[in-house]
Amino acid sequence: MLLICAGCKTKNFLDPYPFWNFKGKTKCAGCGKIWRLETSAGVCVAGPEAADGKPDLLPGFAEKPDYSPISGAELTRPAPRARPTSVCRPIPIQRNVRGKTVSGRPLKKEELVGSLPRFIQEGM
Amino acid sequence: MATPKVAPWPAVPILKPDEVYAGLSDQAKNYPLFLETIVRQEHNFEKPEALSRLRVLDCTTRMMIGHWCSSQLAELGAEVIQVEPPDGDPLRRNTPFGRREYMFRDKDSGEEVGGQFLHEMRNKLSITLNLETEEGREILKKLVVHADAVIENAPPGQWDSWGIGYRQLRELNPRLIYCWVGQRGQWGPLKDKPGMLDPVAQASCGFVHGTGDPKEFGGQPTRSALWMADHVGGTSAAMGILSAVLYRENVSGQGQFIEATAAEAIIRILDYSWAWYSMDGSIRPRYGNWDLAINIYAVNPCKDGYMMVGGGHDRLWYRIWRTVGDEQPAVEEDILGDLHLREVADRLAHDMQVKTYTMLGEWLKDNPRSEAERKLSKQQVASGGVLYVNEVAEYPHFKYRGHVAETESPHYGKVLYGTTPFLQHKTPGRLKWLGRPTGYDNQDVYRRLLGFTRDDFARLKQAKIV
Amino acid sequence: MATQTSTAKPGAQQGFEEFCRETFDFKKAFGKPEALKGYRVLSCTQYILGPSCASYMAELGAEVIKIEAPRRGEAMRHTTPFNEPFLYPLSRWVPERGTGLGFLGANPNEYFISVDFHRPEGQDIVKKLAAKSDVMVENYRPGTFERWGIGYRQLKEINPRLVYCWLGGFGGWGPGRVRASYDILGQSQGGNFGMTGKQEFLGGAPSKHTIWLADYWGGMMGAVQILAALYWRDKISGEGTFTEYSQVHGVTRQLEYALPLYGRHGITRERWGNWDTQLCVHGIVKCGKSSYPQSENPQEQEEGYILMSAYEDKDFARLCKTVGDGKMAEKYAKHDARVKAQSQMEIYPWLEKWATDKTKEQVAAILDKADIINQPVWNSKEVANNPHWQQRGAVQWLDDPTFGDLMHQGPAYKMSETPPRLKWALKPVGADNERILGQLAGLSAEDLRRLEEQECI
Repeated sequence: MLLICAGCKTKNFLDPYPFWNFKGKTKCAGCGKIWRLETSAGVCVAGPEAADGKPDLLPGFAEKPDYSPISGAELTRPAPRARPTSVCRPIPIQRNVRGKTVSGRPLKKEELVGSLPRFIQEGM
Repeated sequence: MATPKVAPWPAVPILKPDEVYAGLSDQAKNYPLFLETIVRQEHNFEKPEALSRLRVLDCTTRMMIGHWCSSQLAELGAEVIQVEPPDGDPLRRNTPFGRREYMFRDKDSGEEVGGQFLHEMRNKLSITLNLETEEGREILKKLVVHADAVIENAPPGQWDSWGIGYRQLRELNPRLIYCWVGQRGQWGPLKDKPGMLDPVAQASCGFVHGTGDPKEFGGQPTRSALWMADHVGGTSAAMGILSAVLYRENVSGQGQFIEATAAEAIIRILDYSWAWYSMDGSIRPRYGNWDLAINIYAVNPCKDGYMMVGGGHDRLWYRIWRTVGDEQPAVEEDILGDLHLREVADRLAHDMQVKTYTMLGEWLKDNPRSEAERKLSKQQVASGGVLYVNEVAEYPHFKYRGHVAETESPHYGKVLYGTTPFLQHKTPGRLKWLGRPTGYDNQDVYRRLLGFTRDDFARLKQAKIV
Repeated sequence: MATQTSTAKPGAQQGFEEFCRETFDFKKAFGKPEALKGYRVLSCTQYILGPSCASYMAELGAEVIKIEAPRRGEAMRHTTPFNEPFLYPLSRWVPERGTGLGFLGANPNEYFISVDFHRPEGQDIVKKLAAKSDVMVENYRPGTFERWGIGYRQLKEINPRLVYCWLGGFGGWGPGRVRASYDILGQSQGGNFGMTGKQEFLGGAPSKHTIWLADYWGGMMGAVQILAALYWRDKISGEGTFTEYSQVHGVTRQLEYALPLYGRHGITRERWGNWDTQLCVHGIVKCGKSSYPQSENPQEQEEGYILMSAYEDKDFARLCKTVGDGKMAEKYAKHDARVKAQSQMEIYPWLEKWATDKTKEQVAAILDKADIINQPVWNSKEVANNPHWQQRGAVQWLDDPTFGDLMHQGPAYKMSETPPRLKWALKPVGADNERILGQLAGLSAEDLRRLEEQECI
């Protein structure tokens, strides 16, 4: 469910699985206002109305009306991660977990011998 | 206890070809009709069987993996003889929640069998043999002389210690293909760790850890409802047996030893888990019904259940939002205006997936599965609802293609079942019979293969060897 | 007479485990012949269903030629988890891009050429290759290859021995034949998705199998059909054939007792989470403590889970003794009592309560000592580092000729005389154009240059 905060207009993304049949309080990631609501089969059947206290479940993600992202501790729920940090951009990798060479970084035509990376051929 | 009356299947009649292809030009109909002439299951029994020259002894018990393997061979025409303990394979007694009323009863002997065993006991003969006895093993030795393949799943090394392992049987029949199946293997540090049933394999190979909602969604590691590691392991064993047959016929004239484990079959298909870990130490996380590598490619809740929508290509992304925009223009506008979602690769970030599926949810909440599919298919987007088994059984396309069919067993009456997917022009897979009472073929098999007399049968039955 | 054991001595019998270890040693595989030596397979495939089917034959030693769109290759190369890891170069024309890891596992051991099927010269090349091949595997929309002049009806005129294997989602005929499919769509529509996942009454939802189960296993089923067809051709008939595999059909085939139960009793099988519908105790239980509380990786910080299996009465009695609860032992002494739905709803929370203050390793140790079957739920790092899987070659360190040092899965099964084996993980798009198109399709150096310029190859 998309919860647009009546106060600050932040778009709070209440992601489908945890919020499809939800009864309780969530918190706007933009301004901290607490909202009580009830959903049934994804449809909002009660609220959102302003409330007090602590949220039961945080949004999955949020963004301002101008699309600038809002996420972080106490604001949105953490993302599942495969490592301590997550960047979601191509990561150049040249040494693997046991310190050996792997061709994990972008190359230039000059670095190839046919279709093979030269540094793999020579630099092992 | 009287069970409520169940409507006969199918509840809705199966479509006819004229109805399916109505209104199409001859040119449009040409290819699908051609396919129908060459692969419809109605023609199966006019055609030969690919493996009819092979005889397989399936000596596995308790697990699905061996029976799954021998089913593939049996569906393709091999003579499969299931060798069961005198009381029958314990797997016969499995029934959901222990409910006897869900079992199927042989109308002659009254013997009960559970649906799991029944569904896999297809095209196979059943004989009984007590391999725990010395004489039983002597009889097995005589049987393997007549077999192309034997499949067993005893604890590692047991058959070898009984004198009927690969090393001994190959002396008796050098052409024999000997296949051991299990969860984790006959050798290696875990070989003695007990655990011979699925989902042991599922838990040991990374599958369970990687399936289900992430903790951040309130989820947990999840096993399959099915003994699916056994399915994949069984099919792997079948690949091994058939390639061994090919090599024997083409080149060597000899058999070999095959080992197939449920866990390693799943490890084989856990695509990038191992390379990803080796490159930078990443441990594959659960991601529920979303995908780590493709957006939009997920199942999400909808008005009447759960809906799969797929479209990794850029083109499909815009078509999906166009469909949504027909009813929720503000949603489509927001998505199209978001620069963070402009590049295909950028859509993979978790935050972007949360936004994507939350916004898609605004449309899905108003659309039941059939409507969502109808609207998306107008834009050529692949989609479909999560179907439950009653819906699968009545789905027009599946009924038409015979994915589900009903057979009338002389023993068990009418049984609804999943048919073999081995559709072929020349040598299709087929069902010859479903279910077989324990030891039903003792007389036939022991007489024709080993020349047993009445006295033999009497003595061996008395001694509980057969 | 066969002498497959190198240390065979008359009279002396090697220990069985030692014998297996030697017989199935994956490091010795390259000293042994290949089951499918001499067979050639064309893989005109995308994603996972079609490619994996051909790859199982590549593991067995067939020469498998993968044909992709020029320059950027097929779509699966452009998928990778979290958009982070790639293997470079994607192709010699596009070295600044890489192949995503989603491509891994579906195309090992193959030769990679690039051909544009849309153009007559491209179709011509396919015909030339098909004339010399034993198997064609394709998973394009039904009728597409026929339109391009390289469908079954056309190719069997050129090569009557060709085994033509089409794989796809919904099949080529019937009311739904026009629908495209993906793996999880196959799972959803075939029926295994709706029965997997946390129970409805516990607030759960259906869960996909997080591997391309319908596609990878579907590819195996396609390979079984192909192997049977090759046997029938070479041994009996001399004829090729057409095989159709619908991945949705495959999923429906897997549903075990669900269809017989529905047909006879009208009952629709529902989700039963991590428990088992037929055996109790035989389920996965949460252990309250993390095995690696200091780790910075959230996958390791999570608490652990473990499969416990004690469905025989005597094993269950021993489990109760271990947990220290005589009341449960008495109430559920018999399997019939335990396996009921309501009983399971009491038993598993009771086990989880006992495991609340333990790691999965602690629980495993206690259960091992009590001789109770158990299997900790291992994550991908634990599996990758486990000596059992490493010794057996289920996961292997591969010296990949293009990409370097990579861990990769080994074949799914083992054979003593003609073991399937892993040679390389994948290659860049069009890496083998010169070798394959020159040798097999009769293209001269001039042809290759011209076609490359036109981006036909």
